Amino acid sequence: MLIFEQQDSARAQSLRLLVLFALAVAATVAGVHAALALSWWTLLWLPLHLPFPALFFSVNIGVTLLLILGGWWIEVSNFKQPGGAEQLARRLGAREARPDSNESEQRLCNIVDEVCIAARMPHPLVMVLPRKQAINAIAAGCDEADCVVAVTQGALDWLTRDELQGMVAHECSHIQEGDTRLNMELAGMVSGLELVWRFGDDVRDRGGPAWLVGSIVMAMGSFGWYAGRCLQAAVSRQREYLADARAVQWTRSRDGLGGVLRKAMTQQETLVTADDEPQWQTAMQHLLLVPEMAPGGRWLDAHPPLRERIHRIYGRFMPALPLKDPANTGQAVAL
Amino acid sequence: MTTTGWIVLALLAALAVWAISVFNGLVQRRNRIANAFGQIDVQLKRRYDLIPNLVDVAKRYLAHEADTLEAVTRARGAAVGAAATARDQPTNAQAVQALGAAEHELSGTLGRLMVVAEAYPELKADATMRSLSEELTSTENRVGFARQAYNDEVLSYNDAAMQFPGLVVARLLGFAQAAILQSTQSAAEREAPRVAF
Repeated sequence: MLIFEQQDSARAQSLRLLVLFALAVAATVAGVHAALALSWWTLLWLPLHLPFPALFFSVNIGVTLLLILGGWWIEVSNFKQPGGAEQLARRLGAREARPDSNESEQRLCNIVDEVCIAARMPHPLVMVLPRKQAINAIAAGCDEADCVVAVTQGALDWLTRDELQGMVAHECSHIQEGDTRLNMELAGMVSGLELVWRFGDDVRDRGGPAWLVGSIVMAMGSFGWYAGRCLQAAVSRQREYLADARAVQWTRSRDGLGGVLRKAMTQQETLVTADDEPQWQTAMQHLLLVPEMAPGGRWLDAHPPLRERIHRIYGRFMPALPLKDPANTGQAVAL
Repeated sequence: MTTTGWIVLALLAALAVWAISVFNGLVQRRNRIANAFGQIDVQLKRRYDLIPNLVDVAKRYLAHEADTLEAVTRARGAAVGAAATARDQPTNAQAVQALGAAEHELSGTLGRLMVVAEAYPELKADATMRSLSEELTSTENRVGFARQAYNDEVLSYNDAAMQFPGLVVARLLGFAQAAILQSTQSAAEREAPRVAF
């Protein structure tokens, strides 16, 4: 079956990328030591051949590892506070859904319940982003007790029931597959690699022979930082494909999620997003269903292009779908 | 004991540990199948509970359609009774078949009610009716997804029980292949565990 093959391939790809990520971290650590050793050797080669200072190896490796792991730990512990997912969603402007007073939110809560049955997972907290007109959704949370699915008002207004189901299924896959957690760990590692670069910058600032040492550390740190960001984004793209395939598997429908992405394409083309709407922060991009910012560097994109995702879902290219008010077409009410 | 003796003993111990872990995995998967089946039952009950409310609201607008409403209530009563019988005697093929027929009848009368309701715009606009029909739509989806989840569990169990070398343990300890739900009729939902275990 194609959906299962796609899932296997996305899983295998992300595993490969994670191995590469670990190699990049190791290469950064080894690179700092090798470059420092080389410079020591070149500096002292002309007058006389001095042995390396005591603990040269341990200090190089230890300090670099301390920076990377320390940066990772600080970043991750920031995210891991209890209720962190809900707080994050609230910071983005989300509020809890009100199934008792609002028809479309009743529908949303029902859909989340349905998808959780299909996915055999516990219920996340359902939230709504009432000020956002773009079709979008976010998933956040690292464990079953604290996870959130938030949907924009635009998604509630423009999507049919089946499409909303596809969208929720995609987000639930991110939670169930632990993508939000994985992304948080990788982001932590990347900020650790960034710390290496910053440390180099600080050392270089002191001038004298420290300038050379700092430059070397900086060069290695920036290599690790950039490689880390590229690999983090590549992992994130694979997890998007995986979540798309999961959503199709759970809802047994291509047109659900497919319709969401095709409508999102229409929105991207016509740019219906109002200027006064609060924009997503760059750091939150990987949590979204569709990227909001104009595609910049492809290497650093957390999402594959919409066209490619639609192509994978349908097996062929499909045109964008016009936005229609589902209430007028009678699709929203099953009666 | 000789070295060979120790090696044989170690191999036997490893084999036993492996067999125990395979056995536990199979039991765990089989329990998950039972749990998934329970989920289907929960959703069917949810559907039965919704129907009286739906009929109550529809009554206010459909004074001239008393027959249709009565048919729904009757069919629901029959389905609830048949479900209880089938739950008590899951191995009784007749009870399961009776439930299938009752569920079929219930779906038919509900369908007729929906067709009739089309002609009454006030009923369709009624907030409670809209809310109830959304609940009913959701319940149909839940029943479908619960069946799907059941099938996914069966698939995972069958993969574990039918693939070599787990197959050896499964055969020796009598883990039979579980059946996947085929039909969209509720009868099959009740029938499944009878086939599976």
